Amino acid sequence: MSRPLRAIWAVISSRATSPLVIGVFLLIYIVLAFITDDTLIALMEYTRTNVLLVVLLALVPLNSGCRIVKETDRHLKLRRALAGKSANDPSGLFDESVALPVPSSFDGLSGRLAATGYRVRCTGGTLAAWRGVSIYPVRVLFLAGMFCLFAGILVSLTTRTTHRMSVIEGEPLPTATGGGGLVERITLKTGAGPILAKILTMDVAPSDSGDGRKVFGLYPPSLYRGYFVYPRYIAIASIIRFSAPGGQTAYEKQAVMNIYPAGKEDRVEIPGSPYRILFSMIQPEDGSDPYVTGRITYLFKLMNGKEVIFAGSLPVGGEFVRDGYRLAIPEGKRMVITDFIQDYGVLLVWGAAIFFLAAGCIWLPVTIFLPRREMLFVSAPDNIHACSRSEGGGRKHGGVFHEALDFLEAGMADRQPFDGGSAEK
Amino acid sequence: MSTTIIETGGLTRNYGDICALKPLDLKVPEGEWLSVMGHSGSGKSTLLNLLGGLDRPSNGSLRVGGEDMQGLTEDGLARFRREFVGIIFQQHHLIPYLTAVENVMMAQYFHSVPDEAEARLALERVGLGHRLKNRPSELSGGEQQRVCIARAIINSPKLLLGDEPTGNLDHKSTLMVMELLKELRAEERFTIVMVTHNPEVAAWGDRTIYLDDGILVREERTRS
Amino acid sequence: MVLAKLAPHLLSWAGIVLAMGRGFSGRRSVVAAGAIVGFPLGVAGACLLSRAYPGDFSFAIIRDIVGGSFLLLWGGAVAAIYSSTVREFPRSWGERLANSPFCAGAVALSSGMIAGAISACRLVGTYNTLPPFLLLALAASILALAALAVERALAASFPVSHSGLMASVVALLLFSASSIIRLDLFSPLTMKLMKFSHDFVHQFFESMLIPDHLFIRTYLWGYIGLLFGNGVGFWGALILWFTPAVLVALAIQWERLPSVAHIRQGAQRRRLLATGIRARRFRLVIPVLAMVVLAAAVYRSRFPSVEYWDPKPLPISASPSGDIFIPKKGDVDLEDGKLHKYLFKQGGREARFFVLMTPAGKLTVDLDACAICKPDGYGQAEGTVICYYCKTLIPLETVGQPGGCNPIPLPFTEKEDGVHIDGLTLLNMWGTNAQSTARVKGGGK
Ligand SMILES: Nc1ncnc2c1ncn2[C@@H]1O[C@H](COP(=O)(O)OP(=O)(O)OP(=O)(O)O)[C@@H](O)[C@H]1O
Ligand SMILES: [Mg+2]
Repeated sequence: MSRPLRAIWAVISSRATSPLVIGVFLLIYIVLAFITDDTLIALMEYTRTNVLLVVLLALVPLNSGCRIVKETDRHLKLRRALAGKSANDPSGLFDESVALPVPSSFDGLSGRLAATGYRVRCTGGTLAAWRGVSIYPVRVLFLAGMFCLFAGILVSLTTRTTHRMSVIEGEPLPTATGGGGLVERITLKTGAGPILAKILTMDVAPSDSGDGRKVFGLYPPSLYRGYFVYPRYIAIASIIRFSAPGGQTAYEKQAVMNIYPAGKEDRVEIPGSPYRILFSMIQPEDGSDPYVTGRITYLFKLMNGKEVIFAGSLPVGGEFVRDGYRLAIPEGKRMVITDFIQDYGVLLVWGAAIFFLAAGCIWLPVTIFLPRREMLFVSAPDNIHACSRSEGGGRKHGGVFHEALDFLEAGMADRQPFDGGSAEK
Repeated sequence: MSTTIIETGGLTRNYGDICALKPLDLKVPEGEWLSVMGHSGSGKSTLLNLLGGLDRPSNGSLRVGGEDMQGLTEDGLARFRREFVGIIFQQHHLIPYLTAVENVMMAQYFHSVPDEAEARLALERVGLGHRLKNRPSELSGGEQQRVCIARAIINSPKLLLGDEPTGNLDHKSTLMVMELLKELRAEERFTIVMVTHNPEVAAWGDRTIYLDDGILVREERTRS
Repeated sequence: MVLAKLAPHLLSWAGIVLAMGRGFSGRRSVVAAGAIVGFPLGVAGACLLSRAYPGDFSFAIIRDIVGGSFLLLWGGAVAAIYSSTVREFPRSWGERLANSPFCAGAVALSSGMIAGAISACRLVGTYNTLPPFLLLALAASILALAALAVERALAASFPVSHSGLMASVVALLLFSASSIIRLDLFSPLTMKLMKFSHDFVHQFFESMLIPDHLFIRTYLWGYIGLLFGNGVGFWGALILWFTPAVLVALAIQWERLPSVAHIRQGAQRRRLLATGIRARRFRLVIPVLAMVVLAAAVYRSRFPSVEYWDPKPLPISASPSGDIFIPKKGDVDLEDGKLHKYLFKQGGREARFFVLMTPAGKLTVDLDACAICKPDGYGQAEGTVICYYCKTLIPLETVGQPGGCNPIPLPFTEKEDGVHIDGLTLLNMWGTNAQSTARVKGGGK
């Protein structure tokens, strides 16, 4: 590798890169916090539109990827060294390394180490001893999680497109390009699980343009033509027919009424007139949900400016006439205000969550119960090269290593212990 | 040429009007094994306590390992005891509810930090590799005394003091302990000062001094 | 008198110099020079600043600088934890920088300036003459020299690591700042964090396409709702507040001990390790002390020792025509620059309001409540009024302007002899604003 390439590699594979980048974003957040109250949204907006920041953010997943490569390389080297296959000096891979100026056989040592709970492998001139589970898989999972999380954020920030549509029962599915299938049924049910209180499904018939039958639920969001279907609010699409005395005001229109749940008020303005009507749903006495049953009775308040002319109630299909005013609602359909969102970053973030969860689940027991400890003794004609390494501190391993060195140096492997007391027992 | 590890000049220790140690002049070269004999109450333990820094002289000069014991502060004396001497008593003074290894580790703890692997190795060296996890009550007197030896040598002292270490042992165990001490001395090259009533035990040393009523009355070299 | 008022600031200044003397132990003279020059510079700077921009702005600048030092501490703490746990972390250039005389001088000078500015803020507003400021600078210089002398006498086995030095200096600066409510950082941190938590949860739900509260079980939403509450702000801010010091401590605790594998005598190895552990333990003392100081700063921020001017509302009634009249020079002097609270009761309804003369010399009449908080009312302290509910400080200059947590201004007419307020308007405004916030604040997002 040439010099500049090596410098670039050093930067993008350094452990300091990700924290630094995150720190920079934190700083920007703090600066923005002085300027605006909606800091987070401002930061997202700012990042989306600024190429430099996008590149900076992209450094994090890049860095995670490079870390995986680097740590895998290191891990493989370590494994080769422990397997006795490494020709190079392995001391750079270990925490401690020392050369003993005594040639000695490892015979007694392997038994001793095995007795203290180490797995031992003796091949030719090397003896490797280890116990516990390496943290390497956890690191890879964690780094993969970092990669997915930040790649997801990046993708989400830069490519997310959203279309807000009204999905109405009995009408074709509105799509950006047209040709959506008929929405056959919208059902709202009481949920049984511990999380969802209500379950919403939208059944869509096959369309002419080749989509099959679809059922959209709540979570995980369904995919429709590459868009996630994200139901936001429940509303009623009602047709309102209204005329005032004198006949100069006659109005008929489909109105989206944001009146769910029962009791919530929404307002319909009658254009070109001072009239407006406040609507809400009556809560049926049996406690049922009118949206679920489809038996909707409207409560309305007709207003002229700020003054109430009259109030009353009427069911779907009913008509109300008084003092020359006429109000009819021939149709009230279930509808769901739905966002159609194209954003594959979401998938990456989900992936990240799974990676993090897996990493955490392995990491905790491994660090507590089975931390990795390794030592390696390589014998040369006139000395022994010994290396040791322990993940996550702990002095006990150091003690065993030092004792093994003492043992080798004293040449005790070749000597009978005092009093015939057996060391192996 | 060997250096002097212990050098006393007019060393005295009084307990009130009792003069346990009359002015004593003694030189011990490094690496020597010195036996101290004398009848009961002759001041042998008093001398040993002074050498080990367990007690301070009433008068006279006392240099151990080049250190002027009179000039040491309490802290300095504690460090001296921690790092320079190992002591074995007639009573083993092992902690009854700790195992053999833990008893040795205790000495490591007071010295610096415990290290189980090293403690185990020390017990193996005194031939107790198979009795690591036993409590003192489960060990024979000889084994107990060997745990004491492991404990005394664990911090690599320059000076090993023994106050009748074999006083409670039968002939065979005594032999074994003496053999062990000899072997360890060959490896570690520490100096031994050992109080004993047993002339046979005293004969293991290079030199024997005789105290009587706090006075050095005689000394003799062991022929070998 | 002046010095008694300044005691916490001078005390923390002495602590700062002590820590710096220890942290840059080879460079005592540089530290002494930097400290002795820096502090008076800071005092002078704060004076000039407050002269140039009377009001809140000068305080805001100094507070932001203190906040910047806190951020620096965060960076330093993260770097420390990385360098002690990660083998290949590049640390050599950082160490070289920290050991240079330039660094010692810069740290001493800048922390001196900040400490000086903070201390001067205590005097700005109460004193307008030079002598108290001169006295302050003099006392600080003497203290600095005394602290360095004490440092010399301290045991040598008591070292201060670079990260520990940083933690202690910043903690002491924060403590010093926390006893002046307009410089306090903890309460604004709480506010910002609450806002962040709210925004984050919202954005997270939307980004991850998670259904809205409509579909989620009430109990679950209740838990999610906790993230929007006051508690998150406080506890989250506590975590942010203490984490850097904790990280510094952990970095020291996790430092690698020296390698002893080359020594072939167990006792010697163990002694070396024990020395390392002991030294590590000593180095831990400073970060732990820094945590204590930070805790004291939080305490001062939550329970400020400044005396609030918290008047009892005076009952007042209206004329038969519904007009409330308050004379300018009656039992109370409306134009004394203090908060004057009144309680108006009529027909089972009541409303609280206050009259205040702003520093600009204009009278303002406002409800004793704002549009967003529970109507706990306001107190007055050090050139501000403070909302008792959210502890927001509103500079006296902006009282009378609507918006945010500012008290809601009331329409009134000012005559020669006093102010006239319409009783019905007052009751209605109180009804629409204060009572709705009282209810809404109970729950919801
Ligand atoms: N703490 C003490 N207070 C008073 N007198 C003491 C004390 N320790 C020892 N003595 C006295 O000092 C003298 C010497 O005692 P020392 O213990 O040195 O004898 P010893 O030679 O060790 O005897 P033994 O062989 O019986 O152990 C004795 O007369 C003893 O009574
Ligand atoms: Mg005795």
